Amino acid sequence: MTPRLRLLAAAVVVLLGAAPLGAYLKLGSRVGDRTVTLKWNQFPVRYFVTDRPAEGVGVPEFQAAIERAFATWHAVETAQTSSEFAGFTQAQPFEDDDMSVLGFVDRSDQDRTLAATSFLIDTRDGTILESDIFFNSSFRWGTSDPGVQGRFDLESIAVHEIGHLLGLSHSALGETELVSGGRRVIAAETVMFPIAFSSGSTADRTLKADDIAGMSDIYRTSASSRQFGSISGRVTKNGAGVVGAHVVAFNPRTRALIGGFSLGSDGAFVIAGLEPGPHLLRVEPLDDGDIDSFFDDSFGVDVDFSVKFHERVVVVPRGGGTMNVEIRVTPK
Amino acid sequence: MGRRGCRAAALAALWSVVFVLPASGQARPAPRQAPAGPTPRAGSWEVGGGVAYVGGFDLGDAAAELTRNTGSSGSPFTLFVTSWEVGPAPGVEGRLAYYFSPRFAVEGRVRFAQPVLGIEASADTEGAPDVTAEETLDQYVFGGSALWHFARPSPRTRVVPFVFGGAAYLRELHEGQELVETGRDYQAGAGVKVWFGSARRRLGIRGDAGLAIRDGGVDPETNLRAVPIAGASLIYLF
Repeated sequence: MTPRLRLLAAAVVVLLGAAPLGAYLKLGSRVGDRTVTLKWNQFPVRYFVTDRPAEGVGVPEFQAAIERAFATWHAVETAQTSSEFAGFTQAQPFEDDDMSVLGFVDRSDQDRTLAATSFLIDTRDGTILESDIFFNSSFRWGTSDPGVQGRFDLESIAVHEIGHLLGLSHSALGETELVSGGRRVIAAETVMFPIAFSSGSTADRTLKADDIAGMSDIYRTSASSRQFGSISGRVTKNGAGVVGAHVVAFNPRTRALIGGFSLGSDGAFVIAGLEPGPHLLRVEPLDDGDIDSFFDDSFGVDVDFSVKFHERVVVVPRGGGTMNVEIRVTPK
Repeated sequence: MGRRGCRAAALAALWSVVFVLPASGQARPAPRQAPAGPTPRAGSWEVGGGVAYVGGFDLGDAAAELTRNTGSSGSPFTLFVTSWEVGPAPGVEGRLAYYFSPRFAVEGRVRFAQPVLGIEASADTEGAPDVTAEETLDQYVFGGSALWHFARPSPRTRVVPFVFGGAAYLRELHEGQELVETGRDYQAGAGVKVWFGSARRRLGIRGDAGLAIRDGGVDPETNLRAVPIAGASLIYLF
């Protein structure tokens, strides 16, 4: 029998982060003393849609929005993913029923969670066996284009959650401000930012470079392996590794921003899915979201250092990697 | 027919020498018997080597922008701004020219320089100190030019002005030499040669300046870009 584990992964929230699994650019799970990447090993992903509407969104509109959101990810040419709508169901999301179910659930008790994704995984290798998504029907939803003020765009939130369903975790490419009760996003350059844009925004229907790089890293094709490159190295402070530093690679040619994190006690980071060419690296502490939106509490994220740019241009080769980049940061 | 074949053979020799020289560093043009009479004349060769200057150019500004939380309206949120450029650089160059007439020559040339590519980052929204990140490029130019000389050197005329124009293959290697970017380089300019003595085989010096029109290389723009160039060489006519 396959050893299974159900995980509540990441939820996209209105203001305040929920409590997701320890994660980074790619979702991971601890297997013994190592971390395995969560990913599907069989495509197409067959998914069911619940037959329950929400106020303002009928079942056909819901199913159509979900299908468009899946199609957005499948359109990434440098990643190999596919899905298949298997039909409507009365089953609920978050049940161990060997069905990946997406649907509305009234969770008025979770007044800051718009939607969340869960997984059933094979704990031996991280293979995703089932993944469910619930959309909290206690919020007001819409599917029109352009979006409607006061209604969260279902397709945008679905693109985010399906990013999780396929194995992506949260990205920190965004800026927030503290407001009463939590954080408000000022701007973001990734669909996978943990805090949603305000109601009425349809901006997250469109993937950004960071999202495409992450998906291409998990489900890389032979073409993407040849086309893209990576940067790896360490973030250090006083000679020791910095855990949880947010490292962003900026390509001045394409203006693409792609982020990653330093992981592990040695401060090692890898940013993959980069276009070949010169890049500028910027490192910052993880202070634009609640840390538990990205990592679990045991991770020991260090936020006591100042933002800085790396002093050398880092060149990404085509189909290869630039290694041993060391970014030295200083305490605040 | 025979003359055309001879000319083709001479051009082939010229190109092979030009492309072999930088690789081996030891190749030498085969010794030839100098024809009688004043030089240069049709069939004369000129070899030269010296220093070069390649001007820098601005690659423009690029802002790191985030999508602002206002839906589709509103300007992007600027995380930081960058401007990047390729700086001017000294270099070395070698040339081998073949005279089709006393005034007209065709030359093959190789130039190597190491300009610095710099990306200046500033105005960080979270206060990161401004920085100019740099890398050193290995820039090679392999090409050919046509030269027209306005005078024929003689015991009384030792300074020979000339104009030149040509095209080249541009090859730029980023630091680490794992990424190559190629392009074209069209050159035009003018210069002078100063010959020492009047022997059939003689030394001289050459100075030239002009513009190189770059197309490609590390430059992401699709527009052609003009870059000043200059050189000073020791030359030998034979």
